[in-house]
Amino acid sequence: MEQDKINRLDRIFNPRAVVVVGDKKQTNYMWLRGQSEFKGRLYSVNIDAREFEGIAELGIPNYPSVVDVPDDEIDYVIVAVPREVSPIILRDCIKKGVSGAMFFTSGFKETGTEKGIQLQETLTKMAKEAGFPVIGPNCMGIFNPKAGVRSSLTQYTGDGGPVSFISQSGTHSINFGVTGYANGIKANKIVSIGNCIVLEASDYLEYFMQDEETKIIGMYIESVQDGKRFFKLLKECAKVKPVLIWKGGQTPEGARATASHTASLAEPMVVWEAMIKQSGAIRTDGLDEAIDACKTLLYCRPATDYRMGLISTTGGQSVFITDIFAKAGLIIRDFTEESYAEMAGFFNIVGGSFRNPIDMGQNWAGEQVPEMLAVLEKDTTVDAIALELSAGRLRLGTPLAERFLPQLAAFAKETRKPFVVIVPSFALDADAAEVRAQIMALGIPAFHSFERAAKALKGFIDYHRFLREEQ
Amino acid sequence: MSVDEILGQAGKNGRKNLTEVEAKEVLKAVGIGVAETRLAKSVSEAVSIAKDLGFPVALKIVSPQILHKSDVGGVKLNLSNAGEVAAAYDEIVTKVSERQPEAEIYGVAVQQMARPGAEVIVGVSKDEKFGPVLMFGLGGIFVEILKDVSFRLVPIVRRDARQMIKEIKGYPLLEGYRGQEPANVEVLEDVLLKISELVEKHEEIKEMDLNPIFAYRDGAVVVDARIILD
Repeated sequence: MEQDKINRLDRIFNPRAVVVVGDKKQTNYMWLRGQSEFKGRLYSVNIDAREFEGIAELGIPNYPSVVDVPDDEIDYVIVAVPREVSPIILRDCIKKGVSGAMFFTSGFKETGTEKGIQLQETLTKMAKEAGFPVIGPNCMGIFNPKAGVRSSLTQYTGDGGPVSFISQSGTHSINFGVTGYANGIKANKIVSIGNCIVLEASDYLEYFMQDEETKIIGMYIESVQDGKRFFKLLKECAKVKPVLIWKGGQTPEGARATASHTASLAEPMVVWEAMIKQSGAIRTDGLDEAIDACKTLLYCRPATDYRMGLISTTGGQSVFITDIFAKAGLIIRDFTEESYAEMAGFFNIVGGSFRNPIDMGQNWAGEQVPEMLAVLEKDTTVDAIALELSAGRLRLGTPLAERFLPQLAAFAKETRKPFVVIVPSFALDADAAEVRAQIMALGIPAFHSFERAAKALKGFIDYHRFLREEQ
Repeated sequence: MSVDEILGQAGKNGRKNLTEVEAKEVLKAVGIGVAETRLAKSVSEAVSIAKDLGFPVALKIVSPQILHKSDVGGVKLNLSNAGEVAAAYDEIVTKVSERQPEAEIYGVAVQQMARPGAEVIVGVSKDEKFGPVLMFGLGGIFVEILKDVSFRLVPIVRRDARQMIKEIKGYPLLEGYRGQEPANVEVLEDVLLKISELVEKHEEIKEMDLNPIFAYRDGAVVVDARIILD
């Protein structure tokens, strides 16, 4: 990507001044209020006199057009006008020389109507002739928590992180940021890309590939325009930093839905599966899988084989965790005789078992769990470790939590193997979420269920096997 | 002849479908093993070619308009002497003229019956957006009924070739089964790599169908091939 284009996108994603066009009381000034934490200068453009008072109450200066805004450093314009008016706003943006604009406005090609298609063509032609970067239309634009630029008031601000996300859905872009955050995954830049009349998936991918702040790139994608370009970029990018692909419209039924969502035509899933396999991208079907993948990528040491050391809380759970991990394609075998000999030395076998999978039984209250982990760390037949913990026992403030969590953190710091923790909710959703958050804060991936942990770990190991083969 | 020359020849005649002989020439030109196949324009020529190649032979109609030869009675297998070859030639030409009268008959292709091996299929089709897509599967019901196939986008690397072969469910059959010798996977990988290179270089190729390929312990032979141009 030419440096000029990169610089311009840098400006758009990290704007000095933002203008919101067409915000109104009816939506409770969602865009203006959305930028309430914005670190730079914020302006409103609205010609409807009925809105003047409401905008003034927000303390934001209002102007009749983008051209009239007294600022030469407008980097990001949020356009929320009716679709018929959008060409005029685009014209003004181009005239003013702003860095770029996103069009929340919808009603274009995705409607399948002649009027919608025409309007989209008008916008596209104007923007392309001027070489003007348009995000959308029919999108929610940018979320940059560090800069305080948001597409929704449900999004947090202030806490910049390493994960960027490109989304052909506004909802998924918002949810990835918000749900991710609740799971300890912090976003860097998230963009909802809409109908892609100018900037499309490949552009954002190319941009994030070279963006030093972005360590992981996630994508929710329904279709791309230039397939060959995308495939080439995907191959390049996945070698540099992990790329997660959540493909929308995997089934014929889903593909029909994409047509009305973003005016995308069905692309055979076999083609996408091939691209993912050939590029080393990580397939994540859905929000949960995308978030779970981030957990392993951010906090697990690399591994290139599948042999698990499993530690669970009870006999029944030990059977369950083994079935689930085995079904996910991981390997569960006996530990070495040395490991068993060592464990026999400290493990109370009444009500428990130390053969893989380990059933903790009564071996909770003392030092036994860190000791078990130490044995698994040494065992050369163990590539990765999964530990189930009880939310009920580790609730905040209990003596057990206070003693145990630092021990866990110490192990996580030293371990050379991927180490994941599972804290199932059972009937304690809130407690479990809290315990998971605490464990995530220690830099240890914490999962909701065996299925989610196993899937994430398998994808993570596959990714590292791919990288190893590339060398 | 080079690939360019062979493709050019078809293009000059305004043809999109290469004959089986031409398709096999293309494959030979890129180093893929094919069952030697020659075009006969008369009964005597067919017999002479058959003697040269060695019995038993197969005879197949050659016509740019006919893509599914067996459907129109255009294929005769396991001909073990000159008499059978001569009779087969006449029968094929007659049957085809009856069933598809508008078809231009260039002649009849004569090839040696290949020793049976593990049957695999390699195909290429063009996706509008993503370009050529390579397909691999085991022959017969595996592809046709069970849809046990793998796909990769062109261009592929060896890892892709290896993985697309190993990921099909029927793969264990290639490792040798009930007396059938195992297939040489590396040779099959080579075939896939060469086809990938071929279609990457020659964008005018729209579709390819190598079906069947007989895979042996020490090599692979393309028994029938179809190439369609844009």
